[in-house]
Amino acid sequence: MQQKYLFGRGWSVFVPILLLLPGFILYLMIALGPSIATSVYSFTDATGIRGAPVNWVGLENYEEFLLRGVASRDNIDALKRTLIFCFFVTTIQFTVGLFVALLLNQRIRGRMFFRTLFFVPVILGVAIQGLIWKLFLLPSGGPVAQFLSLFGVQSEFLGGQPSEAFAWVIVVQIWANMGITMVIFLAGLQTIPNELYEAGRIDGAGRWDLFRHVTWPMLTPSVNTNIVLNIIGSLQAWQLFLVLIGYRPGTQVLGYLVFAQGFGQTSGAVTSAFRQGFAAAASIVLFFLVLIIGLAAQYFVNRREQKLYV
Amino acid sequence: MTMTTQTSLNTARIPERTGRSIDWAKVGTYAILILIAILYVGPLLMLFITSFKTLGEFFRAPISLPTSFSFDNYIEAWDKANFPRYLVNSVIYTVVATTIFVLTSIFVAFPIARGYFRGAKVILTLYVIALFLPPALIPQFQLILNLGLYNSRLGYIMLFLINPIAIIILVNYIKTVPKELDESAAMDGCGYFRFVLQIVLPLIRPAVATVIVLHAIGIWNELILPTIYLSNSNLYPVTRGLIVFEGVYGSNWPALAAAVIILMIPMLILFLFLQRYIIAGLTEGSVKG
Repeated sequence: MQQKYLFGRGWSVFVPILLLLPGFILYLMIALGPSIATSVYSFTDATGIRGAPVNWVGLENYEEFLLRGVASRDNIDALKRTLIFCFFVTTIQFTVGLFVALLLNQRIRGRMFFRTLFFVPVILGVAIQGLIWKLFLLPSGGPVAQFLSLFGVQSEFLGGQPSEAFAWVIVVQIWANMGITMVIFLAGLQTIPNELYEAGRIDGAGRWDLFRHVTWPMLTPSVNTNIVLNIIGSLQAWQLFLVLIGYRPGTQVLGYLVFAQGFGQTSGAVTSAFRQGFAAAASIVLFFLVLIIGLAAQYFVNRREQKLYV
Repeated sequence: MTMTTQTSLNTARIPERTGRSIDWAKVGTYAILILIAILYVGPLLMLFITSFKTLGEFFRAPISLPTSFSFDNYIEAWDKANFPRYLVNSVIYTVVATTIFVLTSIFVAFPIARGYFRGAKVILTLYVIALFLPPALIPQFQLILNLGLYNSRLGYIMLFLINPIAIIILVNYIKTVPKELDESAAMDGCGYFRFVLQIVLPLIRPAVATVIVLHAIGIWNELILPTIYLSNSNLYPVTRGLIVFEGVYGSNWPALAAAVIILMIPMLILFLFLQRYIIAGLTEGSVKG
């Protein structure tokens, strides 16, 4: 609703709009416009070369992405892998983050230390996160290799089988972002009034009862935020793949495929540089994946909320 | 659970801690926390140890302690990796883009929060839906390319002049500033521009600090955009520079580890001071739902 403008009359009522324009026009030009234009580009054969002609190709990019049998297999595999990545990252990061938050919500010595330690990777960024783990996972005599060799396990880690390399990226992804899940849960836990726990204890409730009947329902907003954030975040995450293993057949997820096709950063069998129209189509596919799963998650958490409050 | 509240109030007490009995719950808590902490300290410790070893030492025994303590690797990394230049670039990108972004976004957020023009709600919605739209990557590249700003500082900075989440944080915070303030300021003849900069800005400092910190960290850590938009190594920020250094020095882990630490230390120090704002930004809105 429009409020009465207080700082003058006549032409001066346009001052706020004039001052808003620089920020807003930048936003339209750099974010909103391009975002919408992605769908337009997905119907063309645009390249990344300045001045090269751009032709309308209709649904060809989508057809190539999804429906060309063997030729589309890499794309479909990347799509499946994106879902697998999302599933493991979301469930493990959610569970570990909640568990750690519960442990750190007690009155114990060293709380701040642990909380800070678990959060540190978040601010380091993917380049540093990735390099730290490349060293930690050094196959010849690195810490993890030495530890596993105690059990007679030998491995090439990031250089091993594609499925193993993929699994290690999941580990690093969780390591890097668990801190966010944790702080969101901790913020939620701090809003639960202590009286509820005291009342529960007086009624003879044990730890599990208190969690089940006090903590879990009271934590609903943070639970919902974390579910949605983790799902959307992990569907779109791929930068750690770039730093940790590069573009390797059998490991890519959709986000990486978009980048590799659009900007030619490929190596190995599936190379085709600067196919930006195709990349735009792939990113629209990813967008629909995020939209459908994100909306389903939103629907699910909303229903949970209604059940709790009705 | 069968006891009535009345009787339990009299009889059941939370057990008192005594000096002798061991609190197993607490022992378990520490045991688990320390196990997880190993996964966090371990990689950092490995990095730290490696950075002080000679290459020979590292190949012989990667996880042993260094035999001598020298900063040779740091000196080598600093000299050979072009870090002074990369650091200057990163500082330029981060400071310029964050400053322009924050100044423009305050003037976007304030009138939206106040509803001082027709269509304020619509504009806010345009910011909210951005979180759900397809990635802008490809058309954005075409735009910068056709503006002739590929591989330039200006083009690269432009990419960071937007942040819809930050606008939403600012709008929400400005709504907590009482509107009477606008009225009395206007009555005293204070102009709009001066009012926003001199009176509103100091009042919304916590939100502005959060936005600055989140936005700046995002720019500083960005790896993909410099890979896409900058091909001249004189323009690289530190993230890209680090990956390039890895490409050249891939097997020289001592030098590489030193390089990572050089870039990590400023972030860690800043983090210890700004932790509050970072966490505030990330948990904003999550508690209320």
